[in-house]
Amino acid sequence: MDNLLSGKAWVFQGILDVDWEICPYETLRQLREKGVPVTYEELGKYCMTKVDPKFPQKVQKGDFIVGGENMGYGHDHDHACMSIKGAGVGAVLCESTNANFLRNCIEHGLPLVEVEGINKIVETGSDLQVDLVDGYVKNLGTGEGLRFKPFPQFLLDMLKDGGLYPHLEKQQSKQ
Amino acid sequence: MGKTITEKILARAAGTKEVSPGDYIEVTSRCFFIPGSTRHVGLADKVFDPKRIAWVDGHTGSTASNQAAQNRSSGLEWAKRVGIPMENIYALGRQGIEHMVAADNAWARPGEVFFEGNNGHTTALGAFGAFAITLSYGSAAYMMTGKTWIRVPDSVKFIMKGTLPKGVYARDVFEYVLGQIGPSACPGMVMEWVGPLIDEMDMDARITLTDLALFTGAWTGIINPDQKTIDYVRTRTDEPFEPLVSDDEARYAKVFEFDVSNLVPQIVPPPKRYIVKNVTELEGTPINRGFVGSCANSRMADLRLAAQVLRGKKLHPEVILNITPGTVKIYQQAIHEGLVDIFIDAGCLIASPNCGMCWAANTPLAAADVCISTGTCNYPGRMGSKDAEIYLGNPALAAASCIEGKIVDPRRFL
Repeated sequence: MDNLLSGKAWVFQGILDVDWEICPYETLRQLREKGVPVTYEELGKYCMTKVDPKFPQKVQKGDFIVGGENMGYGHDHDHACMSIKGAGVGAVLCESTNANFLRNCIEHGLPLVEVEGINKIVETGSDLQVDLVDGYVKNLGTGEGLRFKPFPQFLLDMLKDGGLYPHLEKQQSKQ
Repeated sequence: MGKTITEKILARAAGTKEVSPGDYIEVTSRCFFIPGSTRHVGLADKVFDPKRIAWVDGHTGSTASNQAAQNRSSGLEWAKRVGIPMENIYALGRQGIEHMVAADNAWARPGEVFFEGNNGHTTALGAFGAFAITLSYGSAAYMMTGKTWIRVPDSVKFIMKGTLPKGVYARDVFEYVLGQIGPSACPGMVMEWVGPLIDEMDMDARITLTDLALFTGAWTGIINPDQKTIDYVRTRTDEPFEPLVSDDEARYAKVFEFDVSNLVPQIVPPPKRYIVKNVTELEGTPINRGFVGSCANSRMADLRLAAQVLRGKKLHPEVILNITPGTVKIYQQAIHEGLVDIFIDAGCLIASPNCGMCWAANTPLAAADVCISTGTCNYPGRMGSKDAEIYLGNPALAAASCIEGKIVDPRRFL
């Protein structure tokens, strides 16, 4: 994962529940009952389909999901983070989020950035560039940009390594 | 500068003089609770200190769903392999909802951090003046390393005043507040409940209040410990603990004030979690299923309330009401108090203590079912079929509605 991310924005309005709009919990249950391996790729097929049934087919690798307040509403169910990552989304931008969704996304290696006012400068289809180190998101079409507080180095390293467990493995193999 | 209870607890846990919102710190807890359903547990081949870990068969209990047999078998094998002591393994027969077991056994204590595997409602234990959170996907990593990262949260103060009218309880207070402030009022923050109403509440009521914090976006809920808290914990452990409380001059990101004196019982209709109504607006809505249980309402106060409504009555012939005590100890106490007789005489099903029906692990709903539930949430598919409908309310509301076969104002039955 690069610190400089580029892609198109996909804006979703309103409360996005981890167990419904983002990826229905029922889908997860059904996969388990059928014995289908629950992978990023498998869950990616259902990402945001309750809001936009064709989203998994439309989204390109590296594109951004842009949400509003309290992105990733509800329980600490990380299958939602896996679904977003599995669909190929490069990062999630939002006005605000909750701690469980933030931690689960980052620990799965999916950058999630809170940028107050993001929905004022972005719409679906906007070409965006996000600099995770510098803390800056730019709408390449309009030239408008917003600053955000960058992650501390250890989280940037965790994201770069692909998530918490690859990061830990790398640290332990160094010892 | 004054500090909140949360800031004080986190500073202590990080071994540092003081912390402020936005700081990144590294924290270890005294113990760690693993729900048997936590995924990725097998990744932790070696744990940093097995004596600090408790494994609890809480999510599925004795039911057959959700690959329970395999999860239980591999979970128990893992617990033994990494050296978790037998007295820390709450397998079937000693089981219950994880944080209800933690409450029963004083695993969460004032002034400390408390971590749990997959369960966002660990926040219930904030009622003990602890910073109680789930580590979710990061659980296995925590058990391997004994450390986790915390970005110190802001706190939101809820000043609660007034006296609860008859028939209105802690569940109604939380739902009313959620309906008023909305689902994004406290993103990543701590809901700190203070005021004369909180002082009056018993521990069971306080647990209900902090249990549901995440529906406002909050990371957790917390209540400053008082003599009630200390007495409760003291009867369950001789080990030392040192309570912390917020300073008067502590800073809060937001402050809300509510007077509950004119509240009526609340109800949350499907499908949105955060649209809350007075029960009077939905009276007469037919229901055929009921649930009294979940970490929000499965303690003695909740069972006693349901029994008060059901005493001498029979359920509507087409209704099935599942009552699930929070832990085996609570179940046993309910038997001693004669509550189980009342439930069975009324025609209720008593389920083995666990999270169970709250997440469809027990007596799930079919497509045509309409359920009145004290569970934690109501998104489509939560309790079974995505086409079933779930209304949320307090235990009296659930029990009374199951007598009539429709949503009713429970105050008529009290």
